[in-house]
Amino acid sequence: MIKFVNVTKIYQPDRAVGVKNINFQVYPGEFVSIVGQSGTGKSTMIKLIIAEVRPTKGKVIIGDWDITDISESEVPILRRQIGMVFQDFKLLNKKTVFENVAFALEVCGEESKKIEEMVPQVLKIVGLEGKKNRFPTEISGGEQQRVAIARALVHRPKILLADEPTGNLDSINAHEIIMLLEKINEFGTTVVLVTHNREIVNYLKKRVITIDQGVIISDQEGGKYIL
Amino acid sequence: MIFTSSYRALKLGWQNFWRNRWLSLVTVLILILTLFLISLIVTVKVVADKTLDSVKDKVDMSVYFSSTADKTVVTELQARLEEMPEVTQVTYISPDEALTKFKEDNKDNPVVLEAIEALDTNPLGAALVIKSKELSDYPAIIDVLDDPVYQNIIQDKARDFENNQSIIDKLSNITNNINKFGLVLAAVFAVIAILMIFNTIRINIYSYREEIGIMKLVGASNGFVRAPFVIESIIYALIASLICLGLIFTLINTIAPFLNRFFAGYELNIVDYFNQNFLLIFASLVVLSIIMCVLSSLIAVRRYLRV
Repeated sequence: MIKFVNVTKIYQPDRAVGVKNINFQVYPGEFVSIVGQSGTGKSTMIKLIIAEVRPTKGKVIIGDWDITDISESEVPILRRQIGMVFQDFKLLNKKTVFENVAFALEVCGEESKKIEEMVPQVLKIVGLEGKKNRFPTEISGGEQQRVAIARALVHRPKILLADEPTGNLDSINAHEIIMLLEKINEFGTTVVLVTHNREIVNYLKKRVITIDQGVIISDQEGGKYIL
Repeated sequence: MIFTSSYRALKLGWQNFWRNRWLSLVTVLILILTLFLISLIVTVKVVADKTLDSVKDKVDMSVYFSSTADKTVVTELQARLEEMPEVTQVTYISPDEALTKFKEDNKDNPVVLEAIEALDTNPLGAALVIKSKELSDYPAIIDVLDDPVYQNIIQDKARDFENNQSIIDKLSNITNNINKFGLVLAAVFAVIAILMIFNTIRINIYSYREEIGIMKLVGASNGFVRAPFVIESIIYALIASLICLGLIFTLINTIAPFLNRFFAGYELNIVDYFNQNFLLIFASLVVLSIIMCVLSSLIAVRRYLRV
């Protein structure tokens, strides 16, 4: 569960408004799309969820955990419970596909034996079982995003945040990534998808939160892209 | 868990070092240069100190007694001198030894030798060779020798220390200057070196900024991110220290014959000094370079940890 209570984020020193008085709740197992133009506060919402920034006002709660004033040492613990997928994949080019996925487990201090077991399983889910020894530069953009999803899933997070995951992909690859996210959601993971891709939002027919200039202007079940 | 984490930090540190080997090579080279410069200053200081010590050690004072001098009085004087806290050594030279030495010293002068041979008895008396702790102690010894009791038995006092005083003053001056300016120079070099190393390591870590960001986003703690860089720094430090040690020893062995020729007759064995202090030198190099590298990398990593 993700809960925002009257959340405002103002960036210093130029007092730029990230989000203003935002209230919403994402329930376990939901698939929510957050849509809006560039620079309207979507990324701020993601940053608030992973505690990259702290709210200026209001409360952010993840599960039963009020992370509004989370300490620096607790941030890694929070992030291990949230899977993240980015527009630019954020893979380590000097590591192989297997190492990139294993990395997320290594930072949690997982045993090597368990890593050897878990990584192939999750690579199979994203359809990359034959490419574990390739480097990111040796595979396509769609495949790179699958590696990123595998990395986000490998420690079995309850929440998966996908920040414009299809932004760098062609429509076929984009569609495949969205189908993969749907499949992950069917397994029970809460998925929060941040996008400004109209086709994808309209195809999904799931809950859509629309944000404009830092304010939620619509929150609809089975919603459409309205901007 | 601790074992697994340490093993991973070691592995990642080595991987960073190896996969970025050109940058690593540059870092190690700069580190070697730095350590070598600092070592050079220390070496110059050691050579200067050792030279001064050995020159001081060479200085002594000889007292020659007349051939008729009563041996018991000489022995009494020797005992009296040995009791003085300023005196480190008093050597008694018997008239026979004095004669042998005199002959040896004048072996190229047949006229003198013939004259000595022509005498039936040994014309030389006994002698005492006195060494003091400090040059400034000699006047106190002279006071004792000036005691009227000994005036009729002492034939001559060779005030060797007076001849050497000016050399020693000059050397003291040089070592004092080395101590003063060397320290300033070493400090300046150290600051430049630390800046150079800091910059090199910063460039190295700059190339990892994305990786550090990703590590943080997937939930790595700050300690987990830092550990491989600390390991990498220790690898740099160890390699650079070993190579620098090799360079210093090669240098010392190369210049030792020249130094020994220059200071012929003085006890100045710089090679022995370095061999005896091998472990201390190596440990100092390792500790110094580890401190410089680890501090630099911790400071450099810090700015990328804020994700």
